[in-house]
Amino acid sequence: MLSPAIDVATGPGWLENPYQPHLARIVRIYRMVPDNWVFTLRFLDEEIGRNFRQQPGTFVMLSIPGAGEAPISISSSPTRPGTLELCVRRVGRVTDALYRLQSNDLVGVRGPYGNGFPVEVMHGNDLLLVAGGLGMAPLRSLLWYALDRREHFGQVTLMYGAKNPASMLFREELVSLVDRTDINCLLTVDSDPGGTWKNHVGLLPKLFDRARIDPRTTYAAVCGPPIVYKFVLERLLPLGFSKDRILMSLERRMKCGVGKCGHCSIGYKYTCLHGPIFTYWDAINLPEMV
Amino acid sequence: MEVADCRTIARGDLNAWVTRLLGRAEVIAPVRGQGGDEVFASIAAPEEVLWSFRNPLLPPKHLLLPQTDTLAEFRRVDGHYQVQEPPPPRPKILLNARSCDAVGLAFLAEMHAQDLTDAAVLRRAEALTVVSLACHQPCPLGFCVCCDAGPFLEHDFDLQLTDLGDRFHAEPGTPKGQALLDLAPDLFQVADAAAAEQRFALEQQALASFGKETCHFGAAMRRISTRRVAEDLWEKMSPWCLECGGCNHACPTCYCFSVADRTENGCTTRCRMWDSCQYAEFTLEASGHNPRPKRADRMKRRFYHKVSAQYFQRDGRVGCVGCGRCVQVCMGTTDMPAVVGAIRRGNWVSGRPA
Repeated sequence: MLSPAIDVATGPGWLENPYQPHLARIVRIYRMVPDNWVFTLRFLDEEIGRNFRQQPGTFVMLSIPGAGEAPISISSSPTRPGTLELCVRRVGRVTDALYRLQSNDLVGVRGPYGNGFPVEVMHGNDLLLVAGGLGMAPLRSLLWYALDRREHFGQVTLMYGAKNPASMLFREELVSLVDRTDINCLLTVDSDPGGTWKNHVGLLPKLFDRARIDPRTTYAAVCGPPIVYKFVLERLLPLGFSKDRILMSLERRMKCGVGKCGHCSIGYKYTCLHGPIFTYWDAINLPEMV
Repeated sequence: MEVADCRTIARGDLNAWVTRLLGRAEVIAPVRGQGGDEVFASIAAPEEVLWSFRNPLLPPKHLLLPQTDTLAEFRRVDGHYQVQEPPPPRPKILLNARSCDAVGLAFLAEMHAQDLTDAAVLRRAEALTVVSLACHQPCPLGFCVCCDAGPFLEHDFDLQLTDLGDRFHAEPGTPKGQALLDLAPDLFQVADAAAAEQRFALEQQALASFGKETCHFGAAMRRISTRRVAEDLWEKMSPWCLECGGCNHACPTCYCFSVADRTENGCTTRCRMWDSCQYAEFTLEASGHNPRPKRADRMKRRFYHKVSAQYFQRDGRVGCVGCGRCVQVCMGTTDMPAVVGAIRRGNWVSGRPA
């Protein structure tokens, strides 16, 4: 069981109103893929930005006054502080309002929340990142953490599958990693209608044939739609992965982010407090998880 | 409670005491509402307080969790937002809460102090003094004796009153309760042995008069926590739930909430409102995915949260104080004693004799 990342004594002002958002400015909007844009935010109060203790895999509650609040996972790595990058899919009321904002507009941010990936535990091991679709958004934080602290990890493998090249998130950035020797970057698309894709074509689990993975020394981080978990687990478990070396990001509807509102509960765990990163062991032992 | 700290007050002096309480803080007590029923409301004069009453249908949990509670306010000034915190709570005294409701408030305060603390609720709990009135008789639907929440309390109150007929026995549980006694040293006498004995006898009598209407959590807790409740039992019970959310809203220990923004005159108020885990939209995600699509899933969630050993371990008590309000409000008979009984027996007998 991963320990919840609760640091009540030293957290930034937990005895203050936990629902009070801090104002942040949108400094850049990268219109990456239709309805999947990346918003770069910078806190107005530099002090808050400096004390923002994110870990790969944590999330923030992003609020647009008048529209509401939504949990959004952080796509930027804590090794590159100063700004926050949020990859947001336009899907609901809050994200719709966000897409109508422009650079220099203000939003509210509170957090970071969640346990994040247990990076200290993962140090010294190999890393296997498996992402499908929007699952790349939270895993990108871990990816850049590993690349920026490369000496802490053994072999690093990324497997990412998208529907087609046009819908691949962070495509330029990831394609530029393919030639690097310190990471085995495997990108695949289900179909390539344009015929210009130079990487793999086929379903995500097929990438397992292209990588050599030692389950005894590897931590696997998986994120994607439910079907990704199903098929990726079918490949990971026969390799001999122990259940506590498979880390999954599971999200639920949330309202508070601090374990009070009850919306994100899975059994007796709260996704915002004890998650969103759960081991596969947690997943099969929590009631109503899978 | 030290016996030496206990006091008695003559029934005729109660109004004088309440007048002094009113001079110190806002006093909330059960009063006769306009429709003739009992409600918890702010009082202006000591005569409004009911000293013998049926427990109001809505618990006083709104003192810690208002039905609509402002979390933050945003005011737009020159393209900038001013974020304002809600003002700090004022001191309040809750007078004549029944034992179950006093325990419910203690449950909520403890729960919001866990993990990441909810300062707003804790500040309200700090500013609130709970004066409980012990019960001589089980109320018709109550089963507090099964939940360690009555009829008399040993903890979770600031000051506990017991009606001895011509006088009231008062035992302070915390310095906050002691302070209320210190407000009127002339009205309170040190409790004599006869008063202590009478209070003890009333407690024994109240405990003895609980009938069959009790709720045995032990077996249900074992089954729920180890996932040994048959799946089809939930399926059989779920059609009896009307998804009205009444059980949640009338429950002294339910605390789930939803958050929404309201904009008026350029000022956006972010509020939290009571929510119900029985609503289908409670877990509905923006993508359209719903982890609990079936009513049976949601019922299971409610009783898992209330009765499972995992939550018992976290909270130190079951999420039920035995007030019987869910029995009263549920139109479909899927209330706490009925469901706990069904889990214990392993079969569901639909409906309850009227």
